[in-house]
Amino acid sequence: MTVKNEQEAEKSEEWEPKIIAFLCNWCSYAGADLAGVSRIQYPPNIRIVRVPCSGRVNPYFIVKSLTDGWDGVVVSGCHPGDCHYLTGNLVARRRFAILKELLEFFGIEPGRVNFMWASAAEGERFAVLIRKATKIVKELGPNKKFEKKW
Amino acid sequence: MGIEIKNQEIENQMRELARNLLNEKKVDVIIGYAKGTVPLSSAPIMITNEEDIDKLIWNNLCYINLAKYLVPRIPQLIDPEGNNLKVGIVSKGCVGRALIHLAVEKQINLDDIKIIGIPCNGIINRKKVEKEIDEKEILEVSASGNDIVVKGKDFEQKFPFDEYINELCKVCKVKSPPTDASISEACVGECQEISNLEDDFADLAEFEAKSSKEKWDYIKDLLKTCTRCYACREACPMCYCNLCFVDQNKPIWFGKTTELSDIIVFHLIRAMHLAGRCVACGACSSVCPMGIDLNLITRKLEKMVKERFDFTSGIDSETLPPMMSFNMDDEQEFMLEED
Amino acid sequence: MDQKILMKNEIGKLYIELAEEYNFYAPVKEKGNIVFKKILNPDDIVLEYFNSKVPPKEVLFPEMEVLFEYSLDGKDVEIQDRQDLDEKNVIFGIRPCDAHGFALMATFFTAHGDCEDEIFMKKRANTILMGIGCNEPKSTCFCTSLGGHPFQKDDLDVMLTDLGEKYLVETISEKGKTFIQKLKWLADAKKKDVQQAQELSKKSEESFVTKLDLTDIDKILDPNFEHPIWKEISDICISCGTCSYLCPTCTCFDVIDETDEYNNRGRRIRIWDTCQSCLYTLHTSGHNPRNSCIERCRNRIMHKFSYYPKNYDQIGCVGCGRCVQLCPVNNDIRAILTKIKNIEKEEEISA
Repeated sequence: MTVKNEQEAEKSEEWEPKIIAFLCNWCSYAGADLAGVSRIQYPPNIRIVRVPCSGRVNPYFIVKSLTDGWDGVVVSGCHPGDCHYLTGNLVARRRFAILKELLEFFGIEPGRVNFMWASAAEGERFAVLIRKATKIVKELGPNKKFEKKW
Repeated sequence: MGIEIKNQEIENQMRELARNLLNEKKVDVIIGYAKGTVPLSSAPIMITNEEDIDKLIWNNLCYINLAKYLVPRIPQLIDPEGNNLKVGIVSKGCVGRALIHLAVEKQINLDDIKIIGIPCNGIINRKKVEKEIDEKEILEVSASGNDIVVKGKDFEQKFPFDEYINELCKVCKVKSPPTDASISEACVGECQEISNLEDDFADLAEFEAKSSKEKWDYIKDLLKTCTRCYACREACPMCYCNLCFVDQNKPIWFGKTTELSDIIVFHLIRAMHLAGRCVACGACSSVCPMGIDLNLITRKLEKMVKERFDFTSGIDSETLPPMMSFNMDDEQEFMLEED
Repeated sequence: MDQKILMKNEIGKLYIELAEEYNFYAPVKEKGNIVFKKILNPDDIVLEYFNSKVPPKEVLFPEMEVLFEYSLDGKDVEIQDRQDLDEKNVIFGIRPCDAHGFALMATFFTAHGDCEDEIFMKKRANTILMGIGCNEPKSTCFCTSLGGHPFQKDDLDVMLTDLGEKYLVETISEKGKTFIQKLKWLADAKKKDVQQAQELSKKSEESFVTKLDLTDIDKILDPNFEHPIWKEISDICISCGTCSYLCPTCTCFDVIDETDEYNNRGRRIRIWDTCQSCLYTLHTSGHNPRNSCIERCRNRIMHKFSYYPKNYDQIGCVGCGRCVQLCPVNNDIRAILTKIKNIEKEEEISA
């Protein structure tokens, strides 16, 4: 889509957010797969990046996604205690807590960045949460804050 | 008692301690503050000769965090054989905190360091004074009674000391270097055990109540004059990375330009990296050539780790900093949940 | 030389007349700092100022400058060059030291044979410098020690002298002469005004506190490249870029390519760089010839006081005093120069 078309689309009702989702290989990625094979509908707005663990998600990834113009970011990992690497998600949780609060402090709408837990067996939960995240981001509208002056 | 008299007393004691340390060969070098060549400034100084001890000063303009000179940097503080030099360091509360935190992060070895502890009563907010004086030239700044006296060619202005110190100093709880059993040997000056660290962060309430848009506009306005000289980063004792994230070019994570979005991202990620590590010395704001006040962000960092993890950086050398550890029972109210 | 009078309350009129043809830059106050900005409203212009915090070099050599942009359409690449280089600029209120900074920058940007910096030089050629002499230099100023003067006219097109209610306007260059002739409403200056200006100039020169003897400083610097004094000088340096970013003669820049793959476009930009950063000289191999503050601090001094005189027959510092006022650790360049001067004396004594 060219820049112009995109701008027109943003004005109209049909605007759909683009959301980047970092999914843990051992749970949420498989959860998304399960949602797919179980024919559970979830919004097509997310573009999935498979990561080995939610602990792999560097805050850079999240901020970089926002500066690159993604309207929302989702990070999904294993429930606390279920991490394939034992504690990766616990390390990540502290990081996310700080990042989310700091982003909010800097004036980024808190709904832009969402963190969730979803196991490989929770296809339904995955779909529900993605639906919720998409709804939140859609209500916030396009992410224009980091747009550069070209 | 006036501030200037107190400072004078501290200065005399400090020189005495420093002289003894050098004479008894307990340290090879003393790092302290010297008089600046321009008003409203001070210069760090490294002293190896006893004759130079009288150059050491203490006043309310000693804004640099001297712990910066101890983190691994080039040139290193080593003797010709490659052994670490023994260092005596003039420490106000936040320098002491930085030293302890750096020891926790295993960047320095407190065995090589003697802390000349000093009770600090606040650092003058240079930028605020400068702004008040405007374009007139300041020729002399001194403390007298409870005022900061600024003299120029044909004017003299007084500012109440309590109002014109750094925002962080106003709420500072750690005036002299904190001490516990593990570092008490390093202390030669006035170090204290710090217990009361309660803080209600009332100064942040107003900002936090703002809407996202208002916050963003405020941050934009705050940072728009940034020239990215990185004086804040270089003056920060906790910014000791060999390669800062903003200088990485394989891949280039964040833009290096002075476009507002790039500037904000730099300060955002730097803040992220300082969570649970920042010792609230305010050096970053004091050194900024453009007069940007980063204290608000610093306070937020303090608040986050205090409320979430009940941690204050640089107070004790036993507890692991929050971002270096984890707990099964951490709060997770921010996670997305089904309705 | 034409001599005219411009009343201070006529600045607005001057602006309105010039703004049509020129981008009018003048000192304004932004967040407590004096900076040179393109004026949109003449009421913003600040006339009571010492000097800007960021030197006016940012008008012609901004912190961040787009060199060109490109867009992709399949395999076709379209390059858009800068369109704004022919725009005419006036910098009103530039101080003589900063104007000399432009002269030094121009020397540097044209000194290398064919590869002259087109962008800077084009903009420089289209720019008129309307300088104002310094009636009250600060104690950190030391332009007189470097062959400058608070009322130095050489590098300006038009020189203004602040006479209280009005400015004495003197045309210096040909460019300035044709420029002022267009402003027909300017009154002619009286003898009294010219005399007053001369007195001010003399008074200002006498009021300088800092006087450094920098004769043959390059001859002292060269043989002392390995002198231990460099360690002493750089002990407290924290390697930030304040001194070079706020220097009116520093010209170093870094070139960066930015791509916007989502929109099939990209651009090449240059941003200020500083020799005080350890990345400045870092080789791809990992070797860094200026690995410590010692070499970096030395480079800054050597570049301005030894390499410049050698290559271009003039010192690369104008004595504006910005780095003195704003160095985070107060590593005063005046003190550094005095120390270096003293090397010679010490050697004489020991000999």
